[in-house]
Amino acid sequence: MSIAIVALFLVAACVLGIRAARGQDKVDLAAWSVGGRSLGLLMTLVLMAGETYTTFSYLGAAGWSYTHGVSALYVVAYLSIGMAASYVVGPLLWSYAHRHGLHNITDIAAHRFGAPWLGVVLTVAATVFLLPYVQLQITGMGTVVASVSYGAVGLGLSYLVAFAVSEVFVLASGLRGSAWVSVLKDVTVVVTLAVVFVFVPLHFFGGYGAMFAQIGAERAAWLTMPGPGSSTYGLAWFLSTALLNGAVYSVIPTTVAGFLGAASPQTLRRNALLLPLYQVLLFVPVILGLAATLVVPGLKDSNLALFEMLGTALPEWLFGLVGAAGALSAIVPMAVFMLAIGTMWSRSVLGLHERTRGRQRQLAQVVTLVAGGLALGMTYVFPNALVRLSVISYEGLAQLLPLVVIALVWRRMSLSGGVAGLVAGLLVVVVLMATGNDPWGGVNAGAIGLVLNLLVAAAVSLARPGSAPDGRLAAPEPVPARSGTEEDHR
Amino acid sequence: MRDPEPRPSRRSLWWLLGPPVLFCVAVVPANRVEPWVLGMPFLVFWLLLATLLSPVCVWLAARGDPVWKAHRR
Repeated sequence: MSIAIVALFLVAACVLGIRAARGQDKVDLAAWSVGGRSLGLLMTLVLMAGETYTTFSYLGAAGWSYTHGVSALYVVAYLSIGMAASYVVGPLLWSYAHRHGLHNITDIAAHRFGAPWLGVVLTVAATVFLLPYVQLQITGMGTVVASVSYGAVGLGLSYLVAFAVSEVFVLASGLRGSAWVSVLKDVTVVVTLAVVFVFVPLHFFGGYGAMFAQIGAERAAWLTMPGPGSSTYGLAWFLSTALLNGAVYSVIPTTVAGFLGAASPQTLRRNALLLPLYQVLLFVPVILGLAATLVVPGLKDSNLALFEMLGTALPEWLFGLVGAAGALSAIVPMAVFMLAIGTMWSRSVLGLHERTRGRQRQLAQVVTLVAGGLALGMTYVFPNALVRLSVISYEGLAQLLPLVVIALVWRRMSLSGGVAGLVAGLLVVVVLMATGNDPWGGVNAGAIGLVLNLLVAAAVSLARPGSAPDGRLAAPEPVPARSGTEEDHR
Repeated sequence: MRDPEPRPSRRSLWWLLGPPVLFCVAVVPANRVEPWVLGMPFLVFWLLLATLLSPVCVWLAARGDPVWKAHRR
């Protein structure tokens, strides 16, 4: 019963995605990779909400608070900070990309410095840091489907289904299709979380007051940072991670795909205003993770906290709906991650040659398929290799910030400065990570890397300044101060 | 650049620093269980409040932003 509901939603996702391809340009890369740069406010909101609410939100956030307590809310903190920053950064990237017909961060940076090889380097780096996220979604989907089917459907089959469904709609209709599947996903997620948030306190504790009171009495250590029995996730870690991830949010290639898909910069500003409200939803899995410490204590795999707790108590059909929401939370972000990887390889590596330039869309789609296949294969063969790498994904992507964003507003930033900063930042992250020093002195290693990155980039650029022509910088947005002659930006 | 007139000020964008202040500065004294507010331990309550105030900060930034006003229909 419950697994049939999940299957039904997955079929619906495929149908929605394929239908979204109707009437779409079949040749143009931009129609596929950035939705023809035409998504309105609602679609942009739904898509970007869909991207941020991954299986991590379902499994990881509950699992985190189950193990480490309320420091799990760092997710809410960084998303709120990142979305506020996107009020400025989103329109900046949008305008630059729109003016020059660019598709993601790698071709933006390559264009800014007039250096195609930089695009190649950044594409390789971004792929290394993004693939683990694709795999995390695949394994997340496996966990959801296996628990919702009460073990009847195995992990291996669930992995394959996650891969197949997300490839079907992303290959058919690209970013626009992902936005349509996000509609289904967001509705399912909001409804099921609301129901579960009422159900769990009433069923297990007799009410909210009673639930929090019992958590306060028996799990007090979970309610502040650094949390129970560890000093790893203390205040310093929370602050540095919230700031770092907040700064990175706007250069994550999936976020950028969402930015560039918007119809106008004003859409992005409205989005920055409305999207933070969606983060309130993230409190649900975090609080339920705390509740799970009392309901299902002593789990080996904390990622199962939410589903183990719900599986024992929910009626089958409702458990199926929760599972469907979890499964959709895996495949939508996964599809956009793969699309971003495909777009970057096509634009910045494979489609550079004049003989391949006319085939960028097909190339992007082939890479999208290959990237997904690679992540799927890794899931079967080396299930832990990519997951280990995912720990430094955000910290690594953070190091792209100066080359992608700061370069657009700082005329004198030089290519050598930006690259030196990138190398320094990545080295710090990799070394601290490899020596088991992340966090270092309680501070997120990526934040330390980014500070060094910025210092090196600034020092080298000041010593030997570059000079970008106006066309390679973000233009200040036109402000028609008095109504009349100024051209409209749209 | 080629803009002959002085650009209108976008000073209200300083409000965008509101969320980092709410989450990263104010959270230091808010890292406590007592007092309980609305049935929630204080830190959870504070982070929820900060989450709700973040869009307000962005709204304040937008409200005084000439670029936002110019594109408002």
